Amino acid sequence: MAINLSDRELAVPQVKEYSYYPGCSLHSTALEFNESVQAVFKALDIKLYELEDWNCCSAASATTLNHALSLALPGRNLAIAQKSGRDVVIPCTGCYNRHKTTERELKRRSAAGQMVEQAVGFSYQGNFEVRSLLDVIGNQVGLEALRRRVQKPLNGLKVVGYYGCLLLRPVEVTQFENPERPTLLNRLLAALGADLQPWSYASDCCGGDQTLVKPEIAARLVNRLVEHAREAGADAMVTVCPLCQMSLEMRQGAGAKLPLFYFTELIGLAFGLAEASSWWKKHLVSPVGLLKSLQLES
Amino acid sequence: MTSSMPQDKEKGPVGAVLVVGAGIGGMQASLDLAEVGLKVYLLERGPAIGGTMAQLDKTFPTNDCSMCIMSPKLVEVGRHLNIEILTTADIEDISGEPGDFRVKVRQRPRYVNLAACTGCGDCAAACPVSRLDEFNGGLSQRRAVYKAYPQAIPNAYAIEKLGVSPCRNACPINQRAQGYLALVQAGRFADAYRTIKEDNPFPSICGRVCNHRCEDECSRNEGATPVNIMGVKRFVADWWWSQDASVCKPVEPAARPASGKKIAVVGSGPAGLTCALDLVRKGHTVTVFEALPVAGGMMRVGVPEYRLPPEVVQREVNDILAEGVQLELNRRVEDVPALLKQGFDAVFVGIGAHQGSRLPIPGASLPQVTLATDFLAQVSLRGQNGHGSIDVSGKKVLVLGGGNVAIDAAMSCVRLGAAWVGMSCLESRAKMPAHDWEVRDAEEEGIQVFPARTFKEVTQVGGQVSGVRCVQVDLHGFVDGRPDFTEIAGTEEVIPADVVIFAIGQAPQLGQLKDQLETARGWYLKVDPVTLATSLPGIFAGGDVVTGTTFIVDAIAAGHKAAGSIDRYLAGKEMKLEAVHPPVVELEELEVRQRLLSSPALQADRQEMQKRPAAQRRLDFAEVYAGFSEEEARAEAARCLGCGICSECLQCVYACRANAIDHNMPARTLELSVGAIVLSPGLQPMPGDIKPEYGYGVYPNVVTSLEFERMLSASGPFGGVVQRPSDSRHPKKVAWIQCVGSRDERCGQGYCSSVCCMYATKEAVIAREHDPSIQPTIFYMDIRAFGKGFDAYVERAEKEQGVRYERCMVSAVKEVPGSRNLRLIYATFGSDGRPTGHEDEFDLVVLSTGLKPTAEAQETARRLGIDLNEYGFAESPGFHPTASSRPGIYVAGAFSEPKDIPETVIEASCAASFASADLAAGRGTLTRQMVYPAERDVSEEEPRVGVFVCHCGINIGGVVNVPEVVDFARALPNVVYAERNLYTCSQDTQEKITRVIQEQGLNRVVVASCTPRTHEPLFQDTIRQAGLNRYLFELANLREQDSWVHRGSPEVATHKAMQLVAMAVAKARRLRPLQRGTLKVEPSALVIGGGLAGMTAALSIAAQGFAVTLIERQDRLGGNLRHIYTGLEGSDPQALLEDTIRRVSEEPRITVLLESEVVEIKGYVGQFQSTIENRQQARWEVHHGVVIVATGGQEIRPRSYSYGELEQVVTQRELEERIQGDFRQNPANTPESVVMVQCVGSRDEKHPYCSRICCTQAIKNALEIKKLSPRARVTILYRDLRSYGFRERLYRQARQAGVMFLQYDPENKPKVTRNGHGLQVELVIQPEKEKATFPADLIVLSAGIEAEPGNAALSRLLKLPLTAEGFFLEAHVKLRPVDFAADGVFLCGLAHSPRAVDETIAQAQAASVRAVALLAKKELTATPIIASVNPRLCSACGLCVEICPYGARRLEPGMKYAEVIDVLCQGCGACVVACPNKASQQRGFEFLQISAMIDAAVENI
Repeated sequence: MAINLSDRELAVPQVKEYSYYPGCSLHSTALEFNESVQAVFKALDIKLYELEDWNCCSAASATTLNHALSLALPGRNLAIAQKSGRDVVIPCTGCYNRHKTTERELKRRSAAGQMVEQAVGFSYQGNFEVRSLLDVIGNQVGLEALRRRVQKPLNGLKVVGYYGCLLLRPVEVTQFENPERPTLLNRLLAALGADLQPWSYASDCCGGDQTLVKPEIAARLVNRLVEHAREAGADAMVTVCPLCQMSLEMRQGAGAKLPLFYFTELIGLAFGLAEASSWWKKHLVSPVGLLKSLQLES
Repeated sequence: MTSSMPQDKEKGPVGAVLVVGAGIGGMQASLDLAEVGLKVYLLERGPAIGGTMAQLDKTFPTNDCSMCIMSPKLVEVGRHLNIEILTTADIEDISGEPGDFRVKVRQRPRYVNLAACTGCGDCAAACPVSRLDEFNGGLSQRRAVYKAYPQAIPNAYAIEKLGVSPCRNACPINQRAQGYLALVQAGRFADAYRTIKEDNPFPSICGRVCNHRCEDECSRNEGATPVNIMGVKRFVADWWWSQDASVCKPVEPAARPASGKKIAVVGSGPAGLTCALDLVRKGHTVTVFEALPVAGGMMRVGVPEYRLPPEVVQREVNDILAEGVQLELNRRVEDVPALLKQGFDAVFVGIGAHQGSRLPIPGASLPQVTLATDFLAQVSLRGQNGHGSIDVSGKKVLVLGGGNVAIDAAMSCVRLGAAWVGMSCLESRAKMPAHDWEVRDAEEEGIQVFPARTFKEVTQVGGQVSGVRCVQVDLHGFVDGRPDFTEIAGTEEVIPADVVIFAIGQAPQLGQLKDQLETARGWYLKVDPVTLATSLPGIFAGGDVVTGTTFIVDAIAAGHKAAGSIDRYLAGKEMKLEAVHPPVVELEELEVRQRLLSSPALQADRQEMQKRPAAQRRLDFAEVYAGFSEEEARAEAARCLGCGICSECLQCVYACRANAIDHNMPARTLELSVGAIVLSPGLQPMPGDIKPEYGYGVYPNVVTSLEFERMLSASGPFGGVVQRPSDSRHPKKVAWIQCVGSRDERCGQGYCSSVCCMYATKEAVIAREHDPSIQPTIFYMDIRAFGKGFDAYVERAEKEQGVRYERCMVSAVKEVPGSRNLRLIYATFGSDGRPTGHEDEFDLVVLSTGLKPTAEAQETARRLGIDLNEYGFAESPGFHPTASSRPGIYVAGAFSEPKDIPETVIEASCAASFASADLAAGRGTLTRQMVYPAERDVSEEEPRVGVFVCHCGINIGGVVNVPEVVDFARALPNVVYAERNLYTCSQDTQEKITRVIQEQGLNRVVVASCTPRTHEPLFQDTIRQAGLNRYLFELANLREQDSWVHRGSPEVATHKAMQLVAMAVAKARRLRPLQRGTLKVEPSALVIGGGLAGMTAALSIAAQGFAVTLIERQDRLGGNLRHIYTGLEGSDPQALLEDTIRRVSEEPRITVLLESEVVEIKGYVGQFQSTIENRQQARWEVHHGVVIVATGGQEIRPRSYSYGELEQVVTQRELEERIQGDFRQNPANTPESVVMVQCVGSRDEKHPYCSRICCTQAIKNALEIKKLSPRARVTILYRDLRSYGFRERLYRQARQAGVMFLQYDPENKPKVTRNGHGLQVELVIQPEKEKATFPADLIVLSAGIEAEPGNAALSRLLKLPLTAEGFFLEAHVKLRPVDFAADGVFLCGLAHSPRAVDETIAQAQAASVRAVALLAKKELTATPIIASVNPRLCSACGLCVEICPYGARRLEPGMKYAEVIDVLCQGCGACVVACPNKASQQRGFEFLQISAMIDAAVENI
C-alpha cells in the first residue's frame, strides 16, 4: 500500500508549538492516550501547552440539555486559547467536535456566536484554529516526517483504522476531507509500516453514546464492528477517540477479544519510544500478546 | 409559438441550420431539417456521432437492440447530401441575429484524414498506447488511435493526442521518447528502433553519451524521478544489433527519384553524416570528405572507448553508408568554396572543433605537454597507421581543465597505465563544469583533483616537464568569457607531473575558411540561425564549427536543419519555413499524481544502468556501463506517464496504407453562416461516486448503470456475459440502487432524472434473459413508469420476470472481505409495522445514476448566450417547448430536462419545425442535389461482369488469398474483368471503377469487400455515376462473413471467399435494372382534431407554407385545454387557448370545419382524398398529401368513491374549475381539509397504464389551495409519486408548503365514509401499515386520461393500429414517435398517450415537420426493391393482401390478379413468402436470382 509520492509533503511549514486541550478523558480513562500524545510530540520536537484552567467541553450532558451552555462552555476554553494565539490541538473527538461547533458559530459571527462572546466575556479574534490531533499529525507534521522518524516499522501488524463519527461529521463543522470515504488514518498507519486491512466500517457508530445508558445497544454495535474487523482479517483496531476506545474495549462479548490501539500509541511504538510498553497495561484488552508475537514488544 | 423573424426583404433568411450535438436528438433534427430543404451543419464534440444511445444495450419497453434500431439512422445521416458532419468541433463564438447568424467553430485536429481513412483499423492494431475505453464505461481498453465504436459514423479513426510530450519537445531533434518507451513497454523493440531512427541516425551513440535533456523535462520530475530514457534507448539499439540480420532489417526508405544534384559534405561527424543521409534520402548524390582515417568525427576521436566503443560508432556509420552516402577518408578539404567550382551544387561544412588550446604560460610548449583533443584522438586511433600516442604509462600526468574532456583525458591516462593522474582547474570543486557524478567517478578511479587554481608555469628540469606551478584562487565568475578571480596569497605550489595535458577548451580549425567566409570573432563560422547558410551562397555549415563544442544531439539537429535548407536551396525554394509550434503537454502536478497512482508499474523507482567497479574499469578500455536487460528496459519504459496520450511513435503511419494519418494536422477555425441553431448536446451520467457511501470507485463490484449497459451489450467489454469486474464470476444476486444523484438536493441534484426507473427495470429483465439464475432487486423510492406501456413493462418484470422491487433507501454499501460481495444496509417495515434493519449480501451492485448536462454543453450554451437554470439545464419557458432564452436558438433533448429517447426525438423534430418555419423562405437555397448522367440501356447486352476484390488493408488480405480469389473470379461465366484493390471504398478506387466500367463496357459490377450495410450505397452511387442503373450491383461480404470469422484458417477463408464471389456473380448475371416509381404530392394537410395538438400542428404546417384543413367534431376549437386553468410555474393555459384559437382563425392557409368528421379516406401518401361530413350532413371532398391524427383523449369518469353520488367528491378537473371560479372569488369557500386520491382511474384493470399527468395536476392544485388558504389541510394519497424531471421541484414545494403525502397500497384502497355532515377517508398508510382516518370537506379524485372512444372508427377508416388501451400506436415507440407505419399519416397529442400541455405542443410541432418533409417534396420516389406481380401466375387468392402490413396490396372484387401499390410497398417480402404460385416476386431478390446463388454455392463446395 505504501505509496512514496509524498516528498512534497515535506514542504508543509512545520509548526513547533500548539495549545493543548486534553479534556476529561485524557486525564482519566484515557491516560495512556494522553501519555502517548505527549511522548510522540516530544519525539517530534513539538511543544504542547495545556490550556490553563480549562473546563468541560460540554459533550457529556450539556449538549443534550442546554444548547446555549453547550456552545458557551467550549467558548470559554477558546477565550483562554486566544490569549496565546496558538492553534489548539484536541485529541478527544467529542471535545474536538464541541469546540469546532462553537468556533464555527464564532467565525460566522452568528447570533449564537455573539451569545457565546457575551456569556464568556471576550471578543473572538480568529487568530488561531481548533485542530484535531489526527489533522495536526497527519497533515501538519506530515506523513513523510513520520515515515522518516520510524525506527521499528509495524510490519505484520494487521489493523483496521476506525474513525467513529465525531471527527468526521457533520462535515460543515469538522471540515474533514471526505467523511464518507476518509483515508487519512489509513495513510498514516501505512506510513508506520502497518498492514492495513481494507474494510467498510471505518466510520460506523461504536455506540459510545449509549455505552452507559443502554449498554445492550452499545454491545450490539461494538460486536458488529469487532466481527467485521475480524472478518477483514484484522488483529487489532486503531482508534482516534477515547470514547470509541472505551466502548469498543468494554462492550466486546465474551471470548477472545480484539485489542485496540490509539493511533498515537502506534506512532510511539513505531518511533521506538521506550515509554510505549508502559501504555499497554492501561488497556482493558491487552495487546501485549499480539505485539510479542510480532516482535514489536519484548 | 413562432419566433418573429426580421425579414430581410432582399436576402431572406439563410437556408442553413447548425445542429449542435449529434446524439439521437441531433441526428433526428438534422434529418428533419435536411428533408425540408435546409442545409445542415451537424457539429459534434467527439470523433463520431451517435451520442449516449449508441452505448445502450436494449431500449424499453420493447427490448429492441439500441444499436440495431439506431444504426440505419447513423448511416442515413452519414450519407445525407445536405448534412455536413463536423466532428471534434466546438462553438467558439456567435454573432448576428435570427435568420442570419455567424458562428465561429473550432475543429480540433483528428490527426486522421477523413477523406482518406477507410476505417480498416490497421492503425489501432499497430498502436502501442492503451487507454480506458470510455465508450465501454472504462471496463475495457482501446488504443490512442481509435474508432469510438464499430458502427461509428464517420467510419474513420481518430487519434487522442494532448500535444507533444515534454521529453520530445526538450530534444533538439525531437526524438519521440514517449513513442519508443510505449513500444519498449509492449516488448516491440524492433518497432521502437524504427521510431528512434525516424529522427536519429545514431541511436546506439545517443543511448550512451547524450546529455538527455528529455529526462530533465520528464513530467515525472514533479514528485518522483524521471524515466531513464537514455538507458532505454541504448537497450533498444543494442537489442537491434544483437539480433540476426535477417530478423532486423532496416526499413527501406521510400525511393526518391534521383535529383541529379551533387552535394559535398566536409567532415563526417554527427552533423555531416546526418546532413548527408537526409540529402541522400531526398534523392541527391552526396560525398562526405573526412580528413581523418576514420569516420565519426568527435564521436570517434573525441569520446574515449570506455564510454563509446569504436565499433558502436562504426556500425551506425555503416548504416548511413549503406543508404548510398559516399565517404572519402583521409581527404582534408583545404579550399571549401572550390568544391562549388568542382561541380558540387552545394556544400555543407561540419568540421567540428578539434583544435585544442593551451595557456600562454612558460613551458606550455615542452614536448611532454599536449592537448586533450590531440591526446584523445591519438588514444582512439592508436594502432592506426601513423597515429602513435604520448606514452603515459608509469608516468605522473596532470590534466589542466575541469570539464568532461579533462575527465576523459584523465581517465584515459589511468587506463593507459599512468602511475598517478591528477586534474586541476580554475573552478571550485562544487562549480566544476563536469557533472558532479563524473568527478566522483574520476576520484573513485584514483584521480586526484586540485580545484580552484590558476597556472603560472609548466616547470621543467632539463627540458623534461617536472610539474605545474599554480596558485589557489577565489573565482568570482566569468566576465565576457574571461575569469574574474583573486589569487590567495601564500598558496603557490608546484604540483609534480611528468606529462601535462591541456583540456581548457577547443575551437574549429578554420584554415582558409577564416578568410573565405564570415566568422564570429574569427573562431567560428557565422551562419543564418534558421537556414544555416553561410555568407557564400551554396555553402552551409553546422555543428561545433558554428556553435563551439556542444553535444552530439545538437550536431545531429544541425545536420537535419542544414539538409532541409540545402534541399530547398537546390529546388530554388524559399529556404525559411514558417515555424510550426504544436502545443506541448504540461501536466498539472495533480494530474501527475493521479497518473502515478493509476498503476503499480508507474510507482517503481528509476533504474540506473550497472556500472563496473572502479578497480576493474581502471584496467582497460571496456565499456563502463552495462545496458539494461530486456526486463529492466520494459520496466523502466513502463514508468512513462504517457504525457501526450498519443506517443507519436508513428507506428500508425507505417501501418496505414491509405496514408490517412497526419500527426501535424492543425486545428482549424470555420465560420458558418446559418439561419437558426438547434442545440442538442445530450447528457452525461452522474459520476458514480456522487454518493460516496455506495463505494463506487472503491469496491470493484459496484458499477454504474451505463457500465452495466455495456456489460449487457454483445459488443461490450465482456461480450454480453454478465460478470463481476473483480473476478469475472457470474453474479447471482444483483441490486440496483435508484436515485443516485437524482431527487437529492444534498448533492445538488434536486430533480428526477426520469429514465432511471425504467432503465433499471430493463437492465434487470435483460440480465435475467442473459442468465436466468440472476436474482435482481431494485431499491427505489417511487417507481416512475409514466410513459406509454411502461407500467405494463414494470408489472411484467415483477410478476413474470422475477424482478424484486424494494421500496426503501439504501443507507450504505459495505464490501465483504475475500468474496468482494457487497452488503447493502437498509430498513423496511415488517408485517407488524415495525421497522427492521437489513444487511443483505449481493454479488453485484448497479447504481442507477441520474443524468446531467455536460460541462462542455453548458460552456457552449454560455457562448451562445443562452440562460441555464440552477442545475445547468437550458429550461424552456412554459408552453414554449424547445425555445431558449435567445430567439433563433432552439434546445432539444436531455439538455433541457432529463428525458427518454422518444421525448428527445419529438423535441428534435419540434425544434426542427420551428427552425423550418423561421427559415421557410430560405428553403432549398443552399441544398444540393445529385446530378447523374443518363442511364445506359443494357437490356440488349450480354452480361459483362466486373469483379473488384478488396484487401481491406490487412482485414481481408491478411487472411484471404486475394490474388487467388481474383483469378477464380476471372474464370467465372460472364466475368470480363477482375482485379483487386487495397481499399475498394477509397476515393481513387471509385474513380478507377468508373473508368473500368467505361473502358471494359461492364454492365454488372460485383464488389467483394465488407458489409453492404455501410458500403453498398457508395458503390451503387459509383456505378450510377458511370451511367449504369444502380441495381446492377452486387456485393459479396468477405470481411464480416469470412475473414473476420475464419481468421485462424486462411485456406478455408479463401475457399469461402471464392464461393461468396461465385454466388454474387451468379446473381449479378441475372440482375435487371430497376426504376424508382414517382408520385406527385398534393401540397396540403388534413388535421383531424381541433384541440391543442391539432391546432398547433395546423398552425405549424401553415407557417411552413402549406394549406391545412382542420376538422373538429365539437362546435368549437380547444378540446381538453378548455378545462385547464392553472399551468406550471405561472403559465396561463387559458391565455394559450385564446391565443391559439385566434391565430388559427387569422391564418389564411387553415380551413376550419367544425362539428365535422371524416367519413371516408381513399388514396395513400401524397394523394389522399377524404370525405368530410358535418352535423348538418353537408359533405366536402378534400385532396391532401398527408394526415395528422390529433383526436385527443378524455378524463376518465370515476366509478368509485361515491363519485357522482356525493357532491363533495369531485375529479381534479372539476376541482380546477372550482378553484378558478368559486374559491378564487370567495377564498372563504376554500375547504379546510382536502383529500386527493391518486390513480383512481389509472393503473387498474380497466386502465392498466399510468396517466402521467395526474401527480403533477394534484400537486399543482394542492399548491393552489394552499395559496388561497394556507391553513387548509391538503393530503394526497398516492401509490408512486411521479413528478418526473423538474416537476420534482414542485413536489418539494408542496411538501414545504405543508401538503401531506401518504402512500397507499392498491390492494387496500382508501375508503370514503360519511361522518356526520362531512366525509372521512380511512386508509392504511404504507409502508408502516398504520391505520388512519382523515376528515375531508372535499375529496378529489385523480381520474386520469383515457383514449377517445372515436379512435376505433378512425383506426378502421385509416387502417391504423391501436394499442390495447385504445390509443393510436406509432410506427416505433423510440425512434418514430409521431409517425405511423403507414406513410403520410402522423400522430400527436392525447391520441398517442396521456401527456402534459407542453409535451403536446412539442409532439404536434414534431408531427408537423415530419409532414412538411413530405409536402416539401413535389414528388415522392418509392424504393425500387418492392414486390411485383406476374399476372399470369396470380390466382387472385388474396393471401398477399391479408399479409401485407402496409396496405400495399390490392385485390378488389372483379380484379383478375392482385396489384402492388408501389409507393406503399416497403419491400419487406412477406407477400413473396405467402404467395403459393411464385406470382409475387421481390425485385432485386427474384426467385431466379436467389436460386442461381444457391446453385453457385453448391457447385463450388
